[in-house]
Amino acid sequence: MNPPAGQDPTYQPAAVTDAELLAAHEKLLEKQPDDRAHYKLMPLGLLFFFSGLILFAATYLNRYSGHFDPSIYNENALPTKGGGEVKIDPIVLGKRLFNQSGACVTCHQPTGLGVVGTYPPLAGSEWVNGPEERVISILLYGLQGTVHVTGKSFNAAVMPSFGASGFGWSDDKIADVLTYVRQEWGNKGGPITADQVAAIRAKVGSRAAWSESDLLQIK
Amino acid sequence: MSSPAALSPADSGPVETRGRCPLLLLAGSAVAWLALASVLALISGIQLHDPAFLGGCPILTHGRVQALAETAFVYGWIANAGLALVLWILARLGGEPLRAANWVAAGATFWNLGILLALVGIASGEATAIPLLELPRDVQPLLLAAYGAVALGGVLAWTGRRRDVMYASHWYAVAALFLFPWLLSIAQVTLLWFPVRGTLQAVVAGWYAQGLWTLWMAPLALAVAYYVVPKSTGRSIASYDFASLGFWCLLFVGAWTGGRHLIGGPVPAWISTIAIVAAATLLFHYAIIWLNLRGSGGLGGVPLQFIRFGLLAYVLGGLLDALTAIRGVAEVTQFTHFDEAQQELAFYGAVSMLLLGGLYYALPRLTGRPWAYGGLVRAHFVLTAGAVAVRVVALGAAGLVQGTALNDAAVTFPEIAARTHTWLLLASAAQAVLLLGNLLLLVNFFKSALCPYYAAAVAAVRQTQGIAAEAPVR
Amino acid sequence: MKNGALLFLGLFAALGVSWAGIIIGSSDQFGALAPYYDAATDQTYPNGMAGVAARGQLVYRDLDCASCHTQQVRRLGFGSDQARGWGTRQSVARDYIYQPFPQLGQSRFGPDLTNFSAHSPIAVAPGGIYQLLYAGRGAMPAFAFLFETRRIVGEPSIHALHLGAGLEPPAGYELVPTPRAEALAAYLLSLSSPYDDYPEAMPPPAPKGEEAKK
Repeated sequence: MNPPAGQDPTYQPAAVTDAELLAAHEKLLEKQPDDRAHYKLMPLGLLFFFSGLILFAATYLNRYSGHFDPSIYNENALPTKGGGEVKIDPIVLGKRLFNQSGACVTCHQPTGLGVVGTYPPLAGSEWVNGPEERVISILLYGLQGTVHVTGKSFNAAVMPSFGASGFGWSDDKIADVLTYVRQEWGNKGGPITADQVAAIRAKVGSRAAWSESDLLQIK
Repeated sequence: MSSPAALSPADSGPVETRGRCPLLLLAGSAVAWLALASVLALISGIQLHDPAFLGGCPILTHGRVQALAETAFVYGWIANAGLALVLWILARLGGEPLRAANWVAAGATFWNLGILLALVGIASGEATAIPLLELPRDVQPLLLAAYGAVALGGVLAWTGRRRDVMYASHWYAVAALFLFPWLLSIAQVTLLWFPVRGTLQAVVAGWYAQGLWTLWMAPLALAVAYYVVPKSTGRSIASYDFASLGFWCLLFVGAWTGGRHLIGGPVPAWISTIAIVAAATLLFHYAIIWLNLRGSGGLGGVPLQFIRFGLLAYVLGGLLDALTAIRGVAEVTQFTHFDEAQQELAFYGAVSMLLLGGLYYALPRLTGRPWAYGGLVRAHFVLTAGAVAVRVVALGAAGLVQGTALNDAAVTFPEIAARTHTWLLLASAAQAVLLLGNLLLLVNFFKSALCPYYAAAVAAVRQTQGIAAEAPVR
Repeated sequence: MKNGALLFLGLFAALGVSWAGIIIGSSDQFGALAPYYDAATDQTYPNGMAGVAARGQLVYRDLDCASCHTQQVRRLGFGSDQARGWGTRQSVARDYIYQPFPQLGQSRFGPDLTNFSAHSPIAVAPGGIYQLLYAGRGAMPAFAFLFETRRIVGEPSIHALHLGAGLEPPAGYELVPTPRAEALAAYLLSLSSPYDDYPEAMPPPAPKGEEAKK
């Protein structure tokens, strides 16, 4: 039934009854007699289209889902095999340790220049850039008494121990903070490894805080 | 009251005898909410390019106005219109008068009461800040119960259908009726009553928002389209044997698009990857809808014009969805007005236009008389179609400008605001035109549906009091 | 499709499968994320929110600030988030586990706020947040209703704000923030992701092919 010409906007007449509508579509779903003996293009086209979409989906999922790993937030990344310890740059760790409140920064200041007359500077310090064993020993056991740094003399404060008798820092922590200090503020000392710290700890055992003269014995 | 002579013989059905009141209640509420939502959307739109507009009032601060507009539009207009039309279609296809009409009427009343309470709650600061679920927590159980009461009429019409066959409108209508309460209750419990931890909330919110679109709004609109098109044109659906494939594709794939807006977000990458893949696979559904419903008639009356526009917007929206899901494109369009443009195209251009077509088709059958003002019907279509098109283009352009500027670290936010200013002005102007069109609908509805009742009520009162209707007043 | 029961089951399956896959799957993966213990500093990250900051998040939520601001930093190479100074790495799920209602946001009409207290000059300037809220700036509207202009009775309040020229209250009046403004400011000042070394936040290792080329 064709809709009547000159549409009336106030009322859209229905061309079929509901029963006719249902019956007509019911009939469409029944098996049609094969009146033409060739393929209908439509289902083939839709099949190809759907297959193409599934292919895209599978490829995209394989490439960008990070294998559904919960720790992959970057879709280009893949989960690391073995799940080993993630290595963080020791200088970054060392900086964090240095800046912890109550640790190094409190006295030696974020600039590494210390406080005139009270806390010795680390920037350009011959103790920091000198022999590794010496600087590791300072951290492990502390330093007290007068000390001469960059030509000036400091006697007001005591350098606490960061080893077993003091803050109890591990070999890794001491190594990291020393690595940081030895390359910051223009210092040119090399990195320190945790093994070096452990060796000194084992060699010396436990002792009281160093004095400057004893430290200068270490080469 | 009813004048069957005005209706064609193909339209006679016993459905409307009992269903008239509750369905008209739903339809009338829908039209009123649409007008209110348009006003709020206009305010929200103006605030985008003129932040000081009405900003002094805490109720109208931008965030709250946006939540109000969205709630009134989705849970006021789309819910009421969708339910009215879907219940009517199920009853007509079932061949019986609407069952549980009292339940439907009660449910409709409490639903609208709940929405009103929700809006008051949002205005006073109880909004949940969850996109598409801004309803205050304490109102949601009431809405669930009311929805259940309304859906009861539809479900009974489906289970008690005379002919034991199911048509495409049946599937979509039943899907919409059943899936919404499940979606809403899961979202409610996991986000508001016993909130899950951290960004899992964002995943649930995304699942709900996309589920609301693909499993509720789209089925409501498609149920209407599948009914009105063959009824008006008299032609069967083309390639109908594939319609069920399209239906199941939408259902099974649609809800997996939940991570659509979490691309690059603080959730594992697989969530957004699956959403992208689902958005692409959903193209199959859009292809089938296009196949089925593209021949919606030549010139056609205004309802068919609405439906044709709505279908075009629906398919276009699906294509756009798949396109913007690609990460390279999402990098530019994410977090911009482009998302808004897509939502406008989907909610207004597709679903609302389809529902409006259904409303213009169904109301004469519900009231028993044609629409009062034919000119207003045509004007509504022209205004709405034009304004929606302009709005989508303007917001899309604003979004692209904003997106490319955001990706350039040197461009400051005041600069971005200056660049998008003109496009946003254009979008606001189009929103004002939309408001005008919806006010025309409100006037037309009032005259068509309510005035006859008023006149009939007056006549009935006069009759009971023994006063002749024609007696002149002395 | 004739069978009503089949339709019903199909609907249930469609919703159930997506719910199980997305929500239950996600919940298994990061629904119970614990804080990360950093051996170097002997602390766990992230830190919980202070009570007043949590209240401020409720104010943020009630004003729906998320309609214009996001709180998620995207990875390098995807937008300019890090180039704009909004963060030093991609935000991960662990950043939000102590937030009762994470406000990730969906639109950026204003800057991202993930690290607002760490990176924004407004946060650092004294009274900067209150000035921003009271007067607005650019596309951000003024939230003057979060403040109270009241007559000075006796001594001026210690909470009275002096936000600069043009924003001073009339003589005899003082401008004070309401408790909501104070909570909101506390929340904004708590916004930062201080820890960069969660295992999942590490940048992906360079592909083997590139290393072999070196």
